[in-house]
Amino acid sequence: MNILEVKELSIRFGGVKAVQDVSLSVKTDSITSIIGPNGAGKTTFFNLISGVYAPTSGQILFDGQDITGLKQHQISLLGISRTFQNIRLFNQLSILENVQSAMDARATYNLLDSIMTTPKKRRIDRENREKSLEYLRLVGLEKNGQDKPGSLPYGMQRKVELARALASEPKLLLLDEPAAGLNPTEVEEFIRLIHKIKETFHISILLIEHRLQVVHTLSDMIYVLNFGQLLAHGTSREIIENRDVVAAYMGEDD
Amino acid sequence: MSYYSAVMTSAIVNIIAILSMYTLMGLTGIFSMGQAAFMCVGAYATGMLAIHSHLPMAVIVVLSILAGMVCALLVGFPVVKLRRDYIAMITMGFGEAIVALLNNMSNITGGANGINNIPRKMTLWLGVIILALILVITMNFKRSKYGRYCIAVKNDELSAAAMGINVARVKLTAFVFASGITALAGSLLAYTTTYVEPTAFGFTKSIDWISFVFVGGVNSLTGTLLSGMIFCTLPEILRFADMYRIIAQCAIVLLVVNFLPNGLFGEHEFTDAIAAIRKAAKNRKRGNL
Ligand SMILES: Nc1ncnc2c1ncn2[C@@H]1O[C@H](COP(=O)(O)OP(=O)(O)O)[C@@H](O)[C@H]1O
Ligand SMILES: [Mg+2]
Repeated sequence: MNILEVKELSIRFGGVKAVQDVSLSVKTDSITSIIGPNGAGKTTFFNLISGVYAPTSGQILFDGQDITGLKQHQISLLGISRTFQNIRLFNQLSILENVQSAMDARATYNLLDSIMTTPKKRRIDRENREKSLEYLRLVGLEKNGQDKPGSLPYGMQRKVELARALASEPKLLLLDEPAAGLNPTEVEEFIRLIHKIKETFHISILLIEHRLQVVHTLSDMIYVLNFGQLLAHGTSREIIENRDVVAAYMGEDD
Repeated sequence: MSYYSAVMTSAIVNIIAILSMYTLMGLTGIFSMGQAAFMCVGAYATGMLAIHSHLPMAVIVVLSILAGMVCALLVGFPVVKLRRDYIAMITMGFGEAIVALLNNMSNITGGANGINNIPRKMTLWLGVIILALILVITMNFKRSKYGRYCIAVKNDELSAAAMGINVARVKLTAFVFASGITALAGSLLAYTTTYVEPTAFGFTKSIDWISFVFVGGVNSLTGTLLSGMIFCTLPEILRFADMYRIIAQCAIVLLVVNFLPNGLFGEHEFTDAIAAIRKAAKNRKRGNL
């Protein structure tokens, strides 16, 4: 079973063909990675799946349903959650509230409950706060819940974003360069965290990374993107042995 | 009604209107340069109903709030999908249009003469109670998922949408909610001054309110409240001549915006002080043991 099925997806920005006829599938309960040099169109591909842009052509099937052209919030509510390459947290909400915001979007109380602070509102908010704290605990930030995201170093803000993405209880998690800027020890810790998340929540993960070394132990399947086009796909062993991929990475050795 | 309590009552009515700007500007980051038009709608609805019907005051006030909210829904629906800078311009346009419309429908609104002889049913105490109620309601709104939606939308729309928040709907909700409060202020104004006339509700009034919110601190309800209190009472109490009042007002706004870009209160609330005192008391108790 495939949780995500992308067929010949393309988008053009003026003259730039940022993504061109890319087909990709993500198996349920698997970790799939997209690698490729900077400017290859990886982030744009995520923006297409999550509804930031509508594709020029192609189709996106999620969990058997056609989600092509749906709005961002609709896609989120269907069960696709994401993080951003350039961290995008809500800097005037506390870290806990940032995580809770994903649950708020699914909370069932209404405006009247809110302005009268009904027992229902209080119960739902309390439950969501406790759950949010659990997600923060998972990424090791339960002590920072009351602080603002700006008070944390970059690497930890990434973890807040991860916790927030998980709080929406997605079926598919899109992670855009989640290991960027981490040192080798942190990368190892990060890989353990991703495994843990997959096992705890039984979700499928699609992950962008521009370093092959980071993803090859992690991924069930790897897609290589270059100049907006799919260069190759296969298991990590197949990818490492692929000459085209090595060529695309020439001169890119970080 | 004594002079003093009349001044206080009308100050309170204006403070309620200014508080409605907090939900829009402070929470959601929407600048409505036509917000005073919803006060105008509330005032006219009350004026007409009070003169031509025998409905009790409470019913008329509620109907006036609803009238403001319906207008906000009609204006907001096309507006919330626009970029923020356009929202400011377009709300100003709509605001001026609403005021002009009321001015020109002279057979039912009295045109430029406005509506006179509205019964004076507002009292100082009623004003205080309603102000307290609005503070509680706004605080509850802020502390619910709606408050978090608004701040999320203000901070990063793309990210908010990615979390499943319907950005346009949140803006519309905030706009209608705030305009209901603005219209309430209009209704109470009609019951305070006993007349309404359209020229008092132009965009300059909306811009006054925006600058008051900036002085108190866009992100603080407490700041907005205090700033409203200062700007709505000081000139009356000190009996400034009108010209000096405007100069003083501009000077205060310029000084605060220059030296305290986040306003007098920044992100702090009155309740923060209570929490801090409680914490200190707890620590002292622990120290005594
Ligand atoms: N909104 C946009 N408007 C114009 N060009 C864009 C836009 N988004 C991305 N691009 C272009 O698409 C290409 C791919 O960018 P991106 O997806 O960010 O690459 P990657 O994430 O693989 O580094 C780049 O040439 C970029 O300039
Ligand atoms: Mg990228």
